[in-house]
Amino acid sequence: MKEERGNSKVIVITSGKGGVGKTTSAGAISAALAKRGHKTVVIDFDVGLRNLDMIMGCERRVVFDFINVIQGDAKLKQALIRDKRLDNLSILPTSQTRDKDALTQEGVKKVLDELREDFDYIICDSPAGIERGAHLAMYYADEAVIVTNPEVSSVRDSDRVLGLLNSKTAKAENGEGIKAQVLLTRYDATRVENGEMMTVEDVLDILAVPLLGIVPESQAVLRASNLGVPVVLDEPSAASRAYESAVARLDGEELEIKIESERKPGFIGRLFGRAT
Amino acid sequence: MFQTDARQGGAVTDVRPFQIRGRFLTAVSLQPAGGLPDAAFWDALDEKLRQTPHFFENAPLVLDMGKAPEIASNADFRAILRELRQRRLSAFGVFNATDEQVAAAEAAGLIRISLGRDAPLPSRDRRSPAGRDPKRLLPPDNLVIERPVRSGQTVMADRGDLIVIGPVSSGAELIAAGNIHVYGRLRGRAMAGVHGDQNARIFCHDLDAELLAIAGLYRTSDNIGDALRHCSVMVRLEGESLHVEPVGGTDADTARSKR
Repeated sequence: MKEERGNSKVIVITSGKGGVGKTTSAGAISAALAKRGHKTVVIDFDVGLRNLDMIMGCERRVVFDFINVIQGDAKLKQALIRDKRLDNLSILPTSQTRDKDALTQEGVKKVLDELREDFDYIICDSPAGIERGAHLAMYYADEAVIVTNPEVSSVRDSDRVLGLLNSKTAKAENGEGIKAQVLLTRYDATRVENGEMMTVEDVLDILAVPLLGIVPESQAVLRASNLGVPVVLDEPSAASRAYESAVARLDGEELEIKIESERKPGFIGRLFGRAT
Repeated sequence: MFQTDARQGGAVTDVRPFQIRGRFLTAVSLQPAGGLPDAAFWDALDEKLRQTPHFFENAPLVLDMGKAPEIASNADFRAILRELRQRRLSAFGVFNATDEQVAAAEAAGLIRISLGRDAPLPSRDRRSPAGRDPKRLLPPDNLVIERPVRSGQTVMADRGDLIVIGPVSSGAELIAAGNIHVYGRLRGRAMAGVHGDQNARIFCHDLDAELLAIAGLYRTSDNIGDALRHCSVMVRLEGESLHVEPVGGTDADTARSKR
């Protein structure tokens, strides 16, 4: 929205349900965007729990946080942590000692406006739920990535969040739609075949928004988060390739969506054209 | 014209068995002149009724005895009531009556009414006796939604039909005073005729609803059955039961093969 960087984008990573892989995805997406050469910052909105800095492997470098900036106790530049692997990637960690009430709408807007001046992509890692933290994470977003597992309660919560995105965000209040896409995570082709998980078609049929990508269930994801490395910066895996192609699409490339499985390497699932 | 009315509280949740409230209502007053109404009188009344057939139908009616002191016997009142009922006029009281008339009328089942003031029917209301209800004066307000209705959302058309072009998710609610149309899959709840309109209907392209209701009568997905799942259906009230039937020439098989 600022003059020099008119094309900076605020993208919220949200889901409604907890434990579906929001923070992992926020870390992977922001690292992949930075790898593609974009100046990227990822903000942790999960005040009080503070997981993003661990996923990004910078928990020991946190001095000031998002809440300090909002409350004017620190400058934004003091709180931003530059990633050691990618110098165009920054992390804005959150506070572990405060709660979500410390977030204010004006404070969030001020920080985002300031970040828009310096960054191409601002990734907001939303907390689970639909309360204050999640609401403020999505409120100023230009786009949304809905992280969903192929499982009914996750899909229903995502549907609920899509409803909120279309009613309770600055764009929606302006009468503009917010572009939302689904990132299907923890997808297990074998379990889908056995009917234990929902199929991609079923999920998209309910959510009625375009698919951004399918990330297979993978040991690599758990390994990477325990190491504090975004999965796309760790050794190659089906999950890291899935995140990279999802991010390429997020960045405007037109790519087919492949389902790759960790268990049967080389198995190419059904191809999905991108819904528009 | 007014009357107090004790209304039985019907709601199950009501702690008290009834409520007493003052209610105002508009009634038509019929003033016979001269003696006992004869054939000419009834012919003239029939002619009047023909001009405005719906106005008088089942309208509350009172007899103004001011110009007919001759009608005084119980048999007279019974005869008049019989004739009026044949014309679907519901007389319930007399006024401007002598004590003798009141006694005879009460024996015929009419009540004595004392009036505050008399006013001729305003001519502009002639076509709609219910026109005094301000809600009735407002035009219907239909609502068209052109995007998915998502889980947790409630869309309400308080004074008209609700038309949704897109899917309705499980956990979403559609509420309308009139009909509900869903051009997409209906997985949530749909409640039509919520103000009691028993003629309201629900139409949907692809039925997979959690709950369907018309004028308070409902069926949940368990009671809808699987036969019409994923079909284009119409839901309407038939007597005291909710009727779900295929509509739009799509039979169950073609609808299923669409999936």
